[in-house]
Amino acid sequence: MASKKNGSSALKESTDGTNTKWSIEEKPVKIDKWDTAALKNALDDGAKKVMLDKFGFVEKHTLMDIRLLICTIAVAFAMFALIWDYLRPFPESRPVLITCVLSYFLLMGVLTLYTTYKEKGIFLVCLQKDKAGIDPPNVWSLSSTLRKYDDTYTLHMTLQDGIKHKTRSEEIKKSVASFFDENGTLCFDLYEPEVRMLQGRIAVDKKE
Amino acid sequence: MGGLMDFGFLDDVRRMNKRQLYYQVLNFGMIVSSALMIWKGLMVVTGSESPIVVVLSGSMEPAFFRGDLLFLTNYQEEPIRVGDIVVFKIEGRDIPIVHRVIKVHEKENGTVKFLTKGDNNSVDDRGLYAPGQLWLEKKDVVGRAQGFVPYVGIVTILMNDYPKFKYLILACLGAFVLIHRE
Repeated sequence: MASKKNGSSALKESTDGTNTKWSIEEKPVKIDKWDTAALKNALDDGAKKVMLDKFGFVEKHTLMDIRLLICTIAVAFAMFALIWDYLRPFPESRPVLITCVLSYFLLMGVLTLYTTYKEKGIFLVCLQKDKAGIDPPNVWSLSSTLRKYDDTYTLHMTLQDGIKHKTRSEEIKKSVASFFDENGTLCFDLYEPEVRMLQGRIAVDKKE
Repeated sequence: MGGLMDFGFLDDVRRMNKRQLYYQVLNFGMIVSSALMIWKGLMVVTGSESPIVVVLSGSMEPAFFRGDLLFLTNYQEEPIRVGDIVVFKIEGRDIPIVHRVIKVHEKENGTVKFLTKGDNNSVDDRGLYAPGQLWLEKKDVVGRAQGFVPYVGIVTILMNDYPKFKYLILACLGAFVLIHRE
């Protein structure tokens, strides 16, 4: 453990200035291994890294942007209600409050529907551009599940063909223990091949 | 060596991209907003500017004790009657008072004047009113007590008595939500 720590600090000092930077791309991902959400996030981020950095696919943010937009509008309604009520105390502000409260809860409902029926746990949508630049890009979407008291991480990958619009999907189910060491550090070298294999399986299927 | 940037608990946040950071802030905003909107919604439904209050004094014992939570409504069409427990505000005082109505004068045109007294006090409230004020009017009323939950509000009283404790708890909760990735 101690030697490991020295190693990482040496790495930091060698790449001059990284220790004062906010971003920590190079640092190994270490998490609390009993925290399910942290485990899932670490694995999701790992898969994302493989798709974007290693394969060079381009991330498409639409899915997340819509969620952000819904949330922003909802919070804006709440803030507006707060300010309006402050400027014109209660009985006078009643119609505005009714509007804001109803809109807010409506938007929360929309958000719930959106996350359950549209996002469905998809954490990454990325585009595989055609090399010649003629055909429309293939769309890869990744979703995952890790239940709270279960160690099985399911990574689900879907490919929508750019030309035929056919979709193929495959998934891997594996215990989280196979990707993390005892201290809760993500072993990216063990995880990356799994993601690559899954991607490869779909890509090959597609060709047939 | 790394100074501020070496805190391990910030790693989660530092790994996020711009969208995730913004969502983290929004998430915090939505928790605050949900509470706020429930409160404002209650205001609209009950017609009272403060639909839930905590009893801060013992002046209504044995009906209400310090720390009891009161649920209020303030429907304009319901008349104020002797024996009702009202929560009212006095000009120049921040904290509303919960006392019982003991005298009511109603006029044909609908204006009402009334006098209140705490069950546990030996005199009526004229000493508490603003100087020169003898009666309360409808505009002073925050609401009428419709129900209560005993002792739940004691947390509020503790927080009021020790404001630093309140800010500490709020700061901890806020930091937790902002740093912890769901």
